[in-house]
Amino acid sequence: MRDRIELMQGTLDLLILQVLQWGAQHGHGIGQAIRVRTEDALQIEHGSLYPALHRLERQGWVASDWKMSEANRRARYYKLTAKGRRQLVEEQSRWKQLVRAVARTMKPVKE
Amino acid sequence: MWRRFFHRQTTDADLEEELEAHLAIETKRLMESGQLRAQAEREARRQLGSQALVMELTREAWGWSGLARAWQDIRYAARVLRREPAFTGAAVFSLALGIAATTAVFSIADTIFLRPLPYADAERLVWLGVSFPSIHGEFLPSPDYVAWRRDNHVFQQLAATQVSLSNIMILGAPDPAEVHAIRVSANFLSAFAVTPLLGRTFTAQEELPNGPKAVLLTYQFWRDRFQGRRDIVGSIIRLDSQPYTVVGVLPRSFVYPADAKIELLATLPVSPTASHRDRSMAAWAAYGRLKPGITLPRARADLETLYAASKADLPGFFRADNPLVLQPLRDHRVGNVHTLLFVLMGAAGCLLAIACANVANLLLARWSARTQELAVRAAIGAGRGRLARQLFTEIALLIASGTAAAMILVALALQGFVHFATRDLPRLSEVTTDFRVFGIALLMAFTTALLFGALPALRTGRIDLQSVLQQAGRTGASGGRRRARRILVAVEVALSVVLLSGAALLFETLWHMRNDHLGFQPEHVLAVSIPVRGKSIDDSTRAALASEVLTNLRRMPGTEAAALTQCTPLVAGVSLNTFSRSDRPLPEPFHHGDNISVCGAGPDYLKAAGTRLLEGRFFTEPDFAHPGTVAVINEAAARAYFPGESAIGRQILGSRAGPWKTVVGVVADTKNQGLNRPAAPEAFVNDTGPAGISDLLFLVRTLADEDFVARALGDELRANHPGLFTKTETLDHAIGQLSASPRFNTVLLSSFAAVAFLMAIVGVYGVLAFSVAQRRQEIGIRMALGATPGTVLALVMKEGAALVVSGAVAGVAGALLLTRYLATLLYGVKADDPRTYAAVVFGLALTAAAASFLPARRAAALDPAVALRHE
Repeated sequence: MRDRIELMQGTLDLLILQVLQWGAQHGHGIGQAIRVRTEDALQIEHGSLYPALHRLERQGWVASDWKMSEANRRARYYKLTAKGRRQLVEEQSRWKQLVRAVARTMKPVKE
Repeated sequence: MWRRFFHRQTTDADLEEELEAHLAIETKRLMESGQLRAQAEREARRQLGSQALVMELTREAWGWSGLARAWQDIRYAARVLRREPAFTGAAVFSLALGIAATTAVFSIADTIFLRPLPYADAERLVWLGVSFPSIHGEFLPSPDYVAWRRDNHVFQQLAATQVSLSNIMILGAPDPAEVHAIRVSANFLSAFAVTPLLGRTFTAQEELPNGPKAVLLTYQFWRDRFQGRRDIVGSIIRLDSQPYTVVGVLPRSFVYPADAKIELLATLPVSPTASHRDRSMAAWAAYGRLKPGITLPRARADLETLYAASKADLPGFFRADNPLVLQPLRDHRVGNVHTLLFVLMGAAGCLLAIACANVANLLLARWSARTQELAVRAAIGAGRGRLARQLFTEIALLIASGTAAAMILVALALQGFVHFATRDLPRLSEVTTDFRVFGIALLMAFTTALLFGALPALRTGRIDLQSVLQQAGRTGASGGRRRARRILVAVEVALSVVLLSGAALLFETLWHMRNDHLGFQPEHVLAVSIPVRGKSIDDSTRAALASEVLTNLRRMPGTEAAALTQCTPLVAGVSLNTFSRSDRPLPEPFHHGDNISVCGAGPDYLKAAGTRLLEGRFFTEPDFAHPGTVAVINEAAARAYFPGESAIGRQILGSRAGPWKTVVGVVADTKNQGLNRPAAPEAFVNDTGPAGISDLLFLVRTLADEDFVARALGDELRANHPGLFTKTETLDHAIGQLSASPRFNTVLLSSFAAVAFLMAIVGVYGVLAFSVAQRRQEIGIRMALGATPGTVLALVMKEGAALVVSGAVAGVAGALLLTRYLATLLYGVKADDPRTYAAVVFGLALTAAAASFLPARRAAALDPAVALRHE
């Protein structure tokens, strides 16, 4: 079980940063956005978002701020920092490399 | 740190608000998609999962939460422990006992083995001397000391002291008293780098045989006797009727380098021209301070050259079996206490191990009972690691409380140790309750914690959420855990068998020492001594005083016999001679073997001591017309020197010059070298003149009250001879003193063993009682299927018996291995005495059977209907 979480971790971070590049959002909104963009292919546990968000904040990649939300109460909104933006670019390229590498190993099987 | 907790509070609240916001938004979203509020709220919560878990994991992401979490765990553990005062009390008490015992014993071992001696640059201090195995002694003859001090190249200072422990001097008027004095060379203090608190150290003149007489007072003596008056320096005190100048006061921290009672230091007479040729040899102890940079082998090489010169100076005195001894002073001070200390450390270690096993056992039992609680906590989101941490926090809290209690016990235990064990262990005067002791206690606590470390993992590793929660109520300890508890109890039993065996052996030793045939009848016998010193007493006044006291004693009602003597039945004679007989060649000079103690004794000595006459006669009044002409030997001497022949009529103990003494009788042996050693050869002679010092010693057998006799005699003496006083001791009391240190060992080991035994029995009872409680249902089914109460009783008893038998077998094996090391402490009983082991095992088995019977009876009395309905 632990292995799966760790495998997810990096991916989830990337997804969160990706979502946040379009603007500040609260935890619930981030979860919704990921779900919509992945067309529900990735089931993000609502609960697992928050530890990830707090970790990213601690690393200085996102910053948070309390604002009024659509539910008529305060919610914590996260936004990308400059450092987070750099991190996102780096993660994106790393992800692309990974995808390419994995795809390449799959080619011979297809033939 | 408080800010952190404060900060943590707001952040917790923030996190909670953040999650509440999440729920609110999700609920709103779900309601917009057409769900009812209640349903939407439920669904939102379901999707979020356990809020506690989310908070927990998020807090972990904060990173610094370790401290806060530890605090939370501690508060939780404290709450859990407070809920069970009986368990907590028992556990803390066991741990406190174990930690205190080990800490006390290890502190003493630390002082003896590890602490540097209490002197500056103590590593440069050495002990040197020549070993004389035949008299079990190491000393440096005075002429060699003088020569070596003058001619060596390796010592900054070479100091000497008298070899014997302190001698007693009589402090003169106005208030005569005994004081304990030690004679040292003038450079003694500078060798040990000690500066006097007041005044000065000895000068070179003061150690010359006819030099000025000077003393240094110890701090305690100065404070108690002279009320700490600073003007005492320079004043004159009278010791043994001689004037001595007080030249200084030693600092409070001064510790004499041997275990002796000491109140003042005087000087040794060191003659610069001493030589073996003038036959003025005294035996001295020598302590050297090496020059900086001089190694031990280098010093040894230098001393061997000097020793060769000494051998040439007095041929025949030093032999091949008289090696030069040179060792660091600290090693010398350790002496031969290894055995006793290792026994005590082993015993204390066993006790701590048993205490740990017992507490572990209690914890396992309680955790079994808490399986559901733990499972629920795991279910609501406590990680496995977190649970283990929490259980360990409980242990840590127990150990911390146990250690705190142990600190108090240690202070008391160490005081007790120092008070009761002074004879056997060196350097006890240096034992103090300081940070080092607390450091050792912490070390012990840490070791204990390590022993426990695996326990929570063992426990939480086995929590299977599903099965525990489904079983709900039907809590059953898994087989593995029950086995763990059984093994723990068996180990407890084994360790307590080891301790009990050791204690039993020492107890038998003590019994033998107290009850073996002493060779005399100590009841109603007084040893009365009158210290008389100084030049004012010559032999005839001394004799007159002796006969006056004897007359007084004999006149007193109840006196059966009174004799002037030089020794008591508990001490061999005042001088140790080489045995000689007229019909054999004389022993060569400086012959070291064939020892015989010689003691002058008056006619009634035998009657006063209550010793049996075996052959011939004892002295009569007419013998004393010609002192030193007849002798009576003890059985040991007869056996050693007259094997297969009668000693009566033989001429012994003569020399080329001196007269021979005719043996007129043989008497029974008395315990003249201590209670745990056989009697040494001893000869009584008809000469009660002064032997070295002129003190008078009387042996009195009386029917009257001993205290009355002592008081009456003392009053009379003070009235007729102002300035004199008596010292009285009953032989019973003297015997008690002699068995004091074995008694201490026995009491100590017995109390360790008793505690261990109690813990083991409680362990056996605990495991069985718990097992019966767990197996109610099984027992109910068995009974429903036709088992009689008898078979159920047997079932439980058998479980107990298995524990005890396996433990006892391992224990006896361990004891046989370990008690061998006790051998040197034993007397009258062998380390593998089968009766002792049988008694220990039998006693343990009986008690364990009783402990098993209670739960077994409870099981047998179970009503199957009730037991099954309980489900």
